[in-house]
Amino acid sequence: MRHDRPSGSTAAEVLARVQSTDADGTTASACVDALYVHVPFCMHRCHYCDFFTLAGKDDARSAYVDALLAEASATIKAMHFAASPTVFIGGGTPTYLEPADLDRLLGGLAEALPVAPGEWTVEANPETVTAQVAAVLAGHPVSRVSLGMQSAQPHLLKALERQHDPAAVPRAVDHIRSAGIDDVSLDLIFGIPGQQVPDVHADLAAALAMDPVHLSVYGLIYEPGTPLRRRRDRGKVTPVDEDAEVDMFTSVQQLLAGAGFEHYEISNWAKPGHRCRHNEIYWTNGNWWPLGPSAAGHVSGTRWRTIPRLKAWMDQRTDGLPPVVDLESLDADAVMGEVLMLGLRRLGGVPNDTIAAACSTPKRGKHRATAISTHTAAGLLHDVDGHLALTRSGLLLADHVISDLL
Amino acid sequence: MHIRNFSIIAHIDHGKSTLADRLLHATRAVTQREHRDQILDSMDLERERGITIKASAVTVQHEYKGETYQLNFIDTPGHVDFTYEVSRALTACDGAVMVVDSTQGVEAQTLANAYLAIENEVELIPVVNKIDLPAADPDTVAMEIEAILGLPAEDCIYCSAKTGEGIGPLLDTICEQLPAPRQAVIPETRALIFDSHYDEYRGVIVYVRVFDGELKVGDRIRMMGTGTTWTITELGRNTPQPEKVDRIGTAEVGWIVAAIKTLADVRVGDTITHDKHPAAEPLPGYEEPKQMVFCDFYPATADVDSGKRTDFESLREAVEKLQLNDASFTFEVQHSEALGFGFRCGFLGLLHMEIVQERLEREGGVEIVQTAPTVTYKVNTTQNGTMEIHNPMDLPDPSQVQAIREPIVKVEIICPDEMIGDLMSLCDGRRGIFKTQQFVSTGRQMLTYELPLAEIIFDFYDKLKSITRGYGTMDYELVEYRVDRLAKVDILVNGDPVEALSLICHRDNAEVRSRNILKALRKQIDRHQFEIALQAAIGGKIIARESIKAVRKNVTAKCYGGDITRKRKLLEKQKAGKQRMKSIGSVNIPQSAFLAILDQGDG
Repeated sequence: MRHDRPSGSTAAEVLARVQSTDADGTTASACVDALYVHVPFCMHRCHYCDFFTLAGKDDARSAYVDALLAEASATIKAMHFAASPTVFIGGGTPTYLEPADLDRLLGGLAEALPVAPGEWTVEANPETVTAQVAAVLAGHPVSRVSLGMQSAQPHLLKALERQHDPAAVPRAVDHIRSAGIDDVSLDLIFGIPGQQVPDVHADLAAALAMDPVHLSVYGLIYEPGTPLRRRRDRGKVTPVDEDAEVDMFTSVQQLLAGAGFEHYEISNWAKPGHRCRHNEIYWTNGNWWPLGPSAAGHVSGTRWRTIPRLKAWMDQRTDGLPPVVDLESLDADAVMGEVLMLGLRRLGGVPNDTIAAACSTPKRGKHRATAISTHTAAGLLHDVDGHLALTRSGLLLADHVISDLL
Repeated sequence: MHIRNFSIIAHIDHGKSTLADRLLHATRAVTQREHRDQILDSMDLERERGITIKASAVTVQHEYKGETYQLNFIDTPGHVDFTYEVSRALTACDGAVMVVDSTQGVEAQTLANAYLAIENEVELIPVVNKIDLPAADPDTVAMEIEAILGLPAEDCIYCSAKTGEGIGPLLDTICEQLPAPRQAVIPETRALIFDSHYDEYRGVIVYVRVFDGELKVGDRIRMMGTGTTWTITELGRNTPQPEKVDRIGTAEVGWIVAAIKTLADVRVGDTITHDKHPAAEPLPGYEEPKQMVFCDFYPATADVDSGKRTDFESLREAVEKLQLNDASFTFEVQHSEALGFGFRCGFLGLLHMEIVQERLEREGGVEIVQTAPTVTYKVNTTQNGTMEIHNPMDLPDPSQVQAIREPIVKVEIICPDEMIGDLMSLCDGRRGIFKTQQFVSTGRQMLTYELPLAEIIFDFYDKLKSITRGYGTMDYELVEYRVDRLAKVDILVNGDPVEALSLICHRDNAEVRSRNILKALRKQIDRHQFEIALQAAIGGKIIARESIKAVRKNVTAKCYGGDITRKRKLLEKQKAGKQRMKSIGSVNIPQSAFLAILDQGDG
């Protein structure tokens, strides 16, 4: 799905929609738990990536930071933040900004925020993290760096069109740690064409050798609209056999459990106390505000996305805010569907009282209750400490289960 | 005045309708201005397909040797599906003009119709048509007619319906050679119904040949077969323009309007008599129309859940309306697990089925999903009863079945010599029994086989046409119902039989057929989170099996802030897809699976 047609709405309208006016005439907006900042620039657009990214637009980077900061100041002052909100700068490749621009961005955001963030993550590609960049990050309240490692083997990195060589990862980790940021998360991908189960073991061993506190390990997705998907559909790329993929996932679970990691979401593992709070806000249906083009936001059942075109996002501002697309406000039934869809991704599951509420909505409640008992009987759902959660086998069939609960 | 009642019989495209038009011209019944190609075919569909589906009758005058002859030309449907109607139309005649294309020669349908004429003791005048064409070879064709039908070659009249050559001599021959109609044999009135049409304003128009007595406007009449009575409000004939008359006398042909509302009230072959002074016996030969081929029509709605009701209603409306025009197809409401509500319809034959489907779609404006055709089976049960079934679902438990009999047809194929071998393999592969191989003319032969009707209703004709590169022609007629090693094959999905997928087939072909079906099914059913066993069984014994591997992984790896809406929509689509499917046990089967199976034929 591409969102090139503006809906005619602006972020200013969204802001109005999520605000309410008190009896005394003061405006109160819903409480925002997090801020997502999108930096779309990349050195190269990898063929599996379906994010809004821009390669070959390096000239725009500096002006982009200006526009981001303008958007931030227009937005943030109109919002009410929760205590210790999270900030996540994702991409694209945020660390592909010139160090000076990156510095400006981080400083500007920190200044605009009325409260101190409780967690601040920046995504980075290993080849972009120099000592200088690490120092810039550490010079601001950045508490976490998430590194796109993907694999430790050159042929698999090549299969993904990643630009770094495996040695770049430990180098980047060293720079980050030396600069004073301890929380390093590594992203890995399994199910890469040509990959075998022992390759996954080797990748994990290489990752664990760097002593990360957090790991995101994804099964490769052939996203619609990506070159990789087209290559698969034309038979130019052969996906990994499903049985092997299951074995890979199971190996990851076992190895990481053995290494003291807690499996807390389908694709995420953390050392105790090191979960990504920002992502947990997504999975618990929290409220967050987006900055940058093609960035999604959610406040109290209203979802939207800023326009996914750089020029329109920069130029077509209303009260300093960009146009938005895909604006929708969900009804109570659909909201509960999303709560389950997101919540069941967490291994801790969804609290029983939330489940009870989801099963008593007017339209889909009954259907959900039936589906829950069917899937529980089939061993795909179970009760964990007063929560409904996917079982080990349920995790592998999450979409099958969740589609029945929407 | 002299009367000659006759019809024209021919193979498709051999020029029957053009000849009829030419005859009307020659008798000056039609002026050039009124001339439309093929006047007698009144439906668009007929004109498009170049065939005549419904008969009509036209009355013209012709001067011969100073005397006036009333020529009643009775058109017949040319196709074997309408054999019964053809035979009734022929019964109304005293003679027939048999037209053969001089560039094509005798074809299978020429023969079928000629045999019918001979059976009905109708005098034949052989005509070799299209002699104006460069490829015409009238002498060879005349020899073919002699070789096959025993009509002397020198009796053949050569003509060109297109140029008019030979038409005069043909008219003279009709007057001279065809017998005069028989005189009345009883004082009471008897008229044979040989056709009927439905007219939106006047109701049913009944075409009759009066054999005894007469019919007058105002008469109270009775249909002897159905026992219904009516009052004649109009009598007339087509000249070819409709022309009202006060009476239709003995040996004459014409139409009746009597405020009859539906065609179902009128049976071709029935005898009309006076209500007050009825004849003691009807004219011989009346039969109920026999449906030979059955299939289901369902509204072609992609979404079974929504709209099913209204689409079914518009299909029902179209079916009911069409039946006003064609009482020879039957229908009853059918419910399929997969396709929802529809109709199981019976047809006189394959062409009839095609015509009905086309008319429903064209005239009724409904899109139709048609299931594979099946034949009628006669089942002897252990309770010494016999039942007719035209749906495998209706077959009783194997323990109660003593024997299953299937319709056997005699198939005549005329084709060039060099394709005989391939055609014989085709017939042998379809459980055919070779009967005769006969010389037609240099380079052409006629093959006669007995074949189960079930073996030719799928694609036999297509195969025949492709083997003979279009030169082969075939015709068939029902011979009898014959016992064979037939069995009901159940298709089981995870052990549960799916009735809509069951089929009746010969025991020897059961494995191959079943395997093809299971393979097709395997492609259509999505993998589930458990393995699905697909089995074919005869009376509990498994004869083929396939399996669909379990899905082991169905999980989206990433779901962050920007993915949520898209992901939800994707899953909602998955959910909607699941709901549209039919659950058999815990297996979801899409509608497309049922159709793919039904399309299988014999693979």
